[in-house]
Amino acid sequence: MILKKHYDKFLKFPLRAKFTITFLFVICFGGVITLFFGTRIEHNTIFSLAQAKVRHDLASARMVYNEKLFDIRDIVRLNSVRESIQNALKNKQRESLYKHLEPVRTEFNLDFLTITDAEGKVFLRTSNPEIWGDSQSDDSLVTNALLGRTAAATQIIHREELLKEGNGLAEKAFIEFIPTPKAAPREKDHEENALALKAAAPVRDENNVLLGVLYAGVILNRNYEIVDKVKEIVFKGEKYKGREIGTATIFQQDLRISTNVEDENGQRAIGTRVSKEVNQAVLREGKDWIDRAFVVNNWYITAYEPILNMEGDIIGILYVGMLEKPYIDLRNRVMGIFTGIAALCVLLLLVILYAITSTIINPLNKLVAATNKIAKGDLSHKVNINLKDEIGQLAHAFNMMTDDLNKANQKLLQWGKTLEKQVEERTTKIKEMQDSLIQSEKLASLGKMAAGIAHEINNPLTSILINSHLLLEKTNDDPYTKESLNLITEETSRCSSIVKGLLEFSRQSPPKKEPADINRLIANTSTLLENQFKFQNIEVKKDFDPNLPNVKIDTGKIKQVLWNLMINAAEAMPDGGKLTIATSLSEKQKHIVIKITDTGKGIPKDNINKLFDPFFTTKESGSGLGLAVTYGIIQQHQGSIKANSKVGQGTTFTVVLPISSK
Amino acid sequence: MDKKTILIVDDEINVCKSIERAIQNDEYEVRRALSGEEALDKIKENPCNLVIADLMMPGIGGIDLLKLLKTNFSEINVIMVTGYPTIKTAVQAIKIGAFDYIAKPFTPEQLRSVVARCFKSEEKIEKKPPLTNMPPGVYYIIGHTWVRPEEKNKGRVGVVHDFLKTVGRIINLQLPKENDTVIQGEMCAKIKDDAGFNYGIWSPATGKVFEVNDELKKDFSLLKQSPYQDGWLFRCALTDFEQDKESLLLSK
Repeated sequence: MILKKHYDKFLKFPLRAKFTITFLFVICFGGVITLFFGTRIEHNTIFSLAQAKVRHDLASARMVYNEKLFDIRDIVRLNSVRESIQNALKNKQRESLYKHLEPVRTEFNLDFLTITDAEGKVFLRTSNPEIWGDSQSDDSLVTNALLGRTAAATQIIHREELLKEGNGLAEKAFIEFIPTPKAAPREKDHEENALALKAAAPVRDENNVLLGVLYAGVILNRNYEIVDKVKEIVFKGEKYKGREIGTATIFQQDLRISTNVEDENGQRAIGTRVSKEVNQAVLREGKDWIDRAFVVNNWYITAYEPILNMEGDIIGILYVGMLEKPYIDLRNRVMGIFTGIAALCVLLLLVILYAITSTIINPLNKLVAATNKIAKGDLSHKVNINLKDEIGQLAHAFNMMTDDLNKANQKLLQWGKTLEKQVEERTTKIKEMQDSLIQSEKLASLGKMAAGIAHEINNPLTSILINSHLLLEKTNDDPYTKESLNLITEETSRCSSIVKGLLEFSRQSPPKKEPADINRLIANTSTLLENQFKFQNIEVKKDFDPNLPNVKIDTGKIKQVLWNLMINAAEAMPDGGKLTIATSLSEKQKHIVIKITDTGKGIPKDNINKLFDPFFTTKESGSGLGLAVTYGIIQQHQGSIKANSKVGQGTTFTVVLPISSK
Repeated sequence: MDKKTILIVDDEINVCKSIERAIQNDEYEVRRALSGEEALDKIKENPCNLVIADLMMPGIGGIDLLKLLKTNFSEINVIMVTGYPTIKTAVQAIKIGAFDYIAKPFTPEQLRSVVARCFKSEEKIEKKPPLTNMPPGVYYIIGHTWVRPEEKNKGRVGVVHDFLKTVGRIINLQLPKENDTVIQGEMCAKIKDDAGFNYGIWSPATGKVFEVNDELKKDFSLLKQSPYQDGWLFRCALTDFEQDKESLLLSK
């Protein structure tokens, strides 16, 4: 839940922050892990190297130690075969022996040099000539020598023996324990015995008869010769920040009896003891111990091995140690460099990250800005990103999209305009249809009325016609009466023909359509008319489209239409003018358009709408049926007729006929 | 010789009187009736030879009267008169059995010629066998004209023998000209006989005339001699024969 909350919060961050946080997280995580394992590996490597070295150093120390031991052995052996010594012992000349041996002891810095008789009883102690006669046959080295073998070994020498040997050895060996926190507890609080390097050799006469044993030794307690030599040889006295790098120590049991490890006061740390772990591993179990250890007051990389006596008992420990600090510092330096490089890398990565996110975020920002602009209606806006990668493709796609949007919008706008125009056209058409409908209704009602009138009027006309004829038949040659009757019959006939016309109009008999050449029909009609008196001063111009198809029409009725329109045109120009008859094909090639234009007086606006009404006339002699009939005929052909006029300029009648009609 | 009795039926008294005056002569006895009902009463009371009846009357109309007369008094000839003539009513009337059909207003002469033809037809029936019989495959208006369809919507037009036997010797013939349009039910030709009567001939179909029988112009007698062959009047391009057929009969 909390993780999700944090994640939600993270999602709200800007892109760059997200990238940065993620990158940093990955880098830090990786860095920490690398550091962790790096440290471990480096640590292990450095320390295994150090341990290998310290192991090697321990071997060197052992060599130094043994060299010392062998030196003592050699001294003993060489002196045991001295003729003067043999003779002096053979002859029990104590003073002579002393004279010969004491210089050896002092020259070689031996703590004791003693000679016994063949039973192992001390004959002369050079370090303490006063005490003699005690048996040394319990000593393993002396016993060995009595049996004729020369040997050397490390040995614990007890306080009573030390006292016998004199020379202040017991005091030298005495060491009080200094409390050491990690040491294993011991019953004693001091050490009174000594750890010594000791060798013994048999002394024989010329006949190879054993005369005694010569033995010598060096007490290691507070004797720094070996450890300092180790330091000198192995570590070459190198120091690190005022401290010895290498140290060596000899332990008697767990007690430090000879060392160059220093305590807080710069004194050799004699009296301190080895730690419990080392005690257990080396003294009890007899193993080598190689590890880091806290020695006195510093961390050391250390190596311990047991020191055995002749019988193989563990009586002490030989130790070398290297100050850990140089390695720690080396490690820290390496780690420092390592961390520095890592930090540099992070910095570099951040810079690269910034650059990379910029190449993503900047174009994205541009896109966002462009989207906003487009949302506000600026469809012509273009994103200017010249990249070849996915962002570039996105920008390209975006531009394409806005292009399409723009086009679609333009189309919509265009469509809107067209729609408006179409609505306008349709409105006009509806208006025309309404007008036409009104006209049709007028015609229909007139038709009914005409039928009624015709029927009613025909009856009285019948009577008038019959009776006037009868009178005419009866009239003898009275010219006056005859003329009157003739007028009556003529006018009755005229009435009859008017009624007939009305009936014809009202009946609206269906047109008998047949394919006809409109141009020829117009030409025929106009030829007939042009000879008439009314056309005397009129120039007739024919502007025919020669490629008109044939139209299915009732030629008789259309002829009547043309006749009516041309007569009307002529009558509109009593003083002469120009009559233009034009034919053409409509735009969609579905209609034929006939235009009859005169240059006459024109029709006032008020009259244009009434033009096709029955009985509407401006002529004194007109019936008012001509254009009404014309209208009816055009309607029967599913065509249309309309008049455009300007007073003083003329009138154009436009007749439109469908090419294919029912 | 017995006088022919004519009954005039019209709901307008003045029209009745005028018609009576137009045909009044010594040979005819003319009576009048102002309605179909009255006419029937009068005929039952006193039969007549010819009835001249108006088509549109209140009560029993002209067509009803015609039907009743043709059912009950088949020997009586009927001439229909109308103030609102249409080809439909004309053909209908003739199909039912009217002798002829006249549109108002008419002159005395027009009426007289039809009446004369009517009585003459009675005579012929009595005295002579028909001139000839109508061949099959001819469309016709009873007592008037025929049209024989030819290939490509063309038709040949002539006068039926029934009409010709009611006219006297033909002394004049008026025919349409080429390119004239003839309309079904309207006059397309005129015949004048030796009795001085002018007879209008209705066109059986609508169309445009493209050939006129020149032989006939030279010899009018061809008309009577061979009304269905050499005596044809003209040929025309038929405009809408399918519709025209509705008002025509087909000979068998």
